[in-house]
Amino acid sequence: MRLLSLACAIALGLSSVAAQAATPQPSAKVPGSEAIVSKTLANGLKIVVWPDHDIPNANYYTFYKVGSRNEYPGITGLAHYFEHMMFNGTTKRAPGEFDRQMEAAGGSNNASTSNDLTIYTDWFPSSALETIFDLEGDRMANLSFDPKVVESEREVVFSERRSSIDNDNFGTLMEQMQATAWTAHPYQFPTIGWPSDIEGWKLDDLKKFFKTYYAPNNAVLVVAGDVDPAQVFALADKYLASLPKQPEPTPITTVEPEQQGERRLVVERADAQSPIVAYAFHSGIGAGSKEFPTLELLTTILSQGESSRLHQRLVEKEQAATQAGAFAEAGFDPGLLWIYAMLPPGGDMAKVETLLDDELAKVARDGVTAAELDKARNLKASAFWRGMATINGKARALGTYEVFNGDYRKLFDAPAAYDAVTAADVQALAKKILRIQNRTTGLLKPVAAAATAADKEAAK
Amino acid sequence: MSFFRNVSIALVAAFAFNSAIAADIKLPDYQTVTLDNGATVLLMPRKDVPLVAANIAVRGGALADAAGKEGTADLLGEMLSKGAGSRSALQFAQTVDGAGGSLGFGSSREAIIANAQFLSKDSALMLSLLADALLRPTMDSAEFDKLRKRAIDGIANAKDSDPRQLIGTYTGGWLFRGHPYGRSTGGDETSLATITLSDLQAFRQQQMGGDRLIIAIAGDFDATAVTAQLKQSFGAWPKASGGLPAVEAKARETGRRVLLIDKPGATQTYFALANVGSKRGDPAEAAQDLVQTAFGGRFTSMLNTELRVKSGLTYGARSGIERASQPGPVAISSFTKTETTKAAIDLAIATLDRLHKDGLDAATIDSAKRYVAGQYAPGLETAPQLAAQLVDMTLYGDSRETIDGYLGNIAAATPAQIAAARAVFPESKDLAIVAIGDAATIRDVIKSYGPLTEMKLTDPRFSPN
Repeated sequence: MRLLSLACAIALGLSSVAAQAATPQPSAKVPGSEAIVSKTLANGLKIVVWPDHDIPNANYYTFYKVGSRNEYPGITGLAHYFEHMMFNGTTKRAPGEFDRQMEAAGGSNNASTSNDLTIYTDWFPSSALETIFDLEGDRMANLSFDPKVVESEREVVFSERRSSIDNDNFGTLMEQMQATAWTAHPYQFPTIGWPSDIEGWKLDDLKKFFKTYYAPNNAVLVVAGDVDPAQVFALADKYLASLPKQPEPTPITTVEPEQQGERRLVVERADAQSPIVAYAFHSGIGAGSKEFPTLELLTTILSQGESSRLHQRLVEKEQAATQAGAFAEAGFDPGLLWIYAMLPPGGDMAKVETLLDDELAKVARDGVTAAELDKARNLKASAFWRGMATINGKARALGTYEVFNGDYRKLFDAPAAYDAVTAADVQALAKKILRIQNRTTGLLKPVAAAATAADKEAAK
Repeated sequence: MSFFRNVSIALVAAFAFNSAIAADIKLPDYQTVTLDNGATVLLMPRKDVPLVAANIAVRGGALADAAGKEGTADLLGEMLSKGAGSRSALQFAQTVDGAGGSLGFGSSREAIIANAQFLSKDSALMLSLLADALLRPTMDSAEFDKLRKRAIDGIANAKDSDPRQLIGTYTGGWLFRGHPYGRSTGGDETSLATITLSDLQAFRQQQMGGDRLIIAIAGDFDATAVTAQLKQSFGAWPKASGGLPAVEAKARETGRRVLLIDKPGATQTYFALANVGSKRGDPAEAAQDLVQTAFGGRFTSMLNTELRVKSGLTYGARSGIERASQPGPVAISSFTKTETTKAAIDLAIATLDRLHKDGLDAATIDSAKRYVAGQYAPGLETAPQLAAQLVDMTLYGDSRETIDGYLGNIAAATPAQIAAARAVFPESKDLAIVAIGDAATIRDVIKSYGPLTEMKLTDPRFSPN
């Protein structure tokens, strides 16, 4: 199979959470969803359990309502770095023990950090349930920071940054665009952090961060799979109920002022072959907004599948790009709608801009057809059911709805919300946001002379 | 963009198979039907979500590509859905997307492959689209020209992206230099440029036909209706006119040779250490998988512990075993900032030496067994996974015991068998080494590992000649 360019992978990754928010057919009911139970502990930790005994496995998802949105200059990247540190030792367990004990019990784990959330996941045979609770309860209560590990993990994060950003042209361009599109809101910070900030965190920053955000009342726990809810709640009482509630974190109240004209930026790359043209529009819509389904359907019509507008025009009809796509950010605050095109070597960036402008203007001017809207709804329905086919997808979807929409049950109300979207709604939204004044334009431009590695990685 | 703690091993490892020692994990029931023309049909109805999945392999694949025309099978795979039956390329795409379906073709080393998933109510539509694509592709020349150009340009796009995606392709090409396993299944910029539409037509005639077809349907569908439709759709597909490509095993290499791929200005070096490993059906498979898990297949593996956890040299280090009809590559791979290239490669080599010198202790073996068992079932959870598994088993002539008995073999692997299975990893004196990085800075370091060959990342090939 051909290589999937990272741009495409990023787009897929970013839309995956949104895809969970897709619609089942109105008549469809998710088998087994009647067995979901939830409970909130006295310390504010909300727990949702979806028992599903198809395979003898379960997962344990902790969603913390913290991400790079909660940072400020000087500590950018701290939420993500902290995510790494959550695995590196407690007052009861030496660094590395968390992973060793989990894997010895048959479990694996990962974690991810975005603008809005830090999500920790364990995948394990259901026989390991108590081990997982013990490990998770310990790190929520007793995290400790070994100064040596703090330093070595800094290097790990730098290595991650080099692969995802510095040595990936689309990653570099997106970081610059994000920093340009936002003037006031902390969505301007790259989640992985600016290099000088990665160098600069202090132990005290970490301690403060832990106390503020890693509180039971700032988290949602979802367990899905081969478990008995009563047993889950009993283990939660044993391992998590004694965690102290903390004061609510300071809310992020900054509202991005309305953009009043296009912002353009160019990133020059000496060793590049392929130009990239990307647009970032302020969508004005957060994941919990009533309008979010409209934004998703618009994005789907523009970019999903080979019959999508952008692919047909730029890739098939004009052959001006090798790939064209779009994805909408889903967060607590209104995010960006990204539109991008990867060009062939020597591709004409001005022509691609003209074509993108024309396609976007067309949606705003003429709206979308009934067939396109049906298609988008069907694509959403399939994505929804693909999510419901795994215990992992079920846990992700429940947690995503709980944190962004305030109630996991809204996952099952989605059909009505999607069905309520009309072609006129999609057109009105396109008109409102797809304006040049509301846009940051980013160009990745291959240039001749090679910059030296030393210039590229200042201070490292 | 989300940043992950580690890149899922499953995304990268060729076939890491893993789950609970106590649990009895078996393939769900399925039936096999052989059509008159030799096609194999596998059906696994499962009531879970209202989706139906198809997985298809047509034996032959990229190994049948003519020399110098690598990428033929893969391009042909992609061409099949660019207009088929009565539908143009656009109409075909509109039909798939309109139903909310997904449908993709390509080629692996040993078969042209297709994956599809639709809502249950559209299972008949899905099968008719697949039949049109396989039996009645339009093979329009304008569509072909576009597709070929896009394939070539797409490689240039990939070379501007994260090098982690590419290191495997270069490593396979370097290790299997001059052997069919060294060819990139998707071809390269040079080979793709030589392929014509008539090459595709000829390939289709010689290497595609009913006798080569394996099709598995899993999920929520009516077995009777689907069986009837499959018989009607594929039962009359004539046989392929050519012979299946045959491949000789490549022997494990002795000594070292090094390929340096220049990415000017790269701030990180991406490297792999490889040799020939193991093949499908190797009796030592379970024991090898335990060694692979402990050495480079999970977060606490020896490699990740040394290169990431203890030293902070990298975001990730791993190993992998890729098994095919003949022995495939076994490789160690990681990446590190340009300045620590030597430290990281030396440490990877020292860790390999330690595996051979010290072996694995009882606690590590026990942990690896539990880990493999605990991670096994999620790989057999969904209809697309199960359909792919049925096709894979059929393609390689395995029985269901390959799946049903796997965890039993894992549990039964003895310390002596596991010690012997370390031999799937080469000695450090016998390595094909590949590095992508800033050649001006790292050339002298890379040269110290063995006789050096150089090329540029922008060269229109994945191998130096």
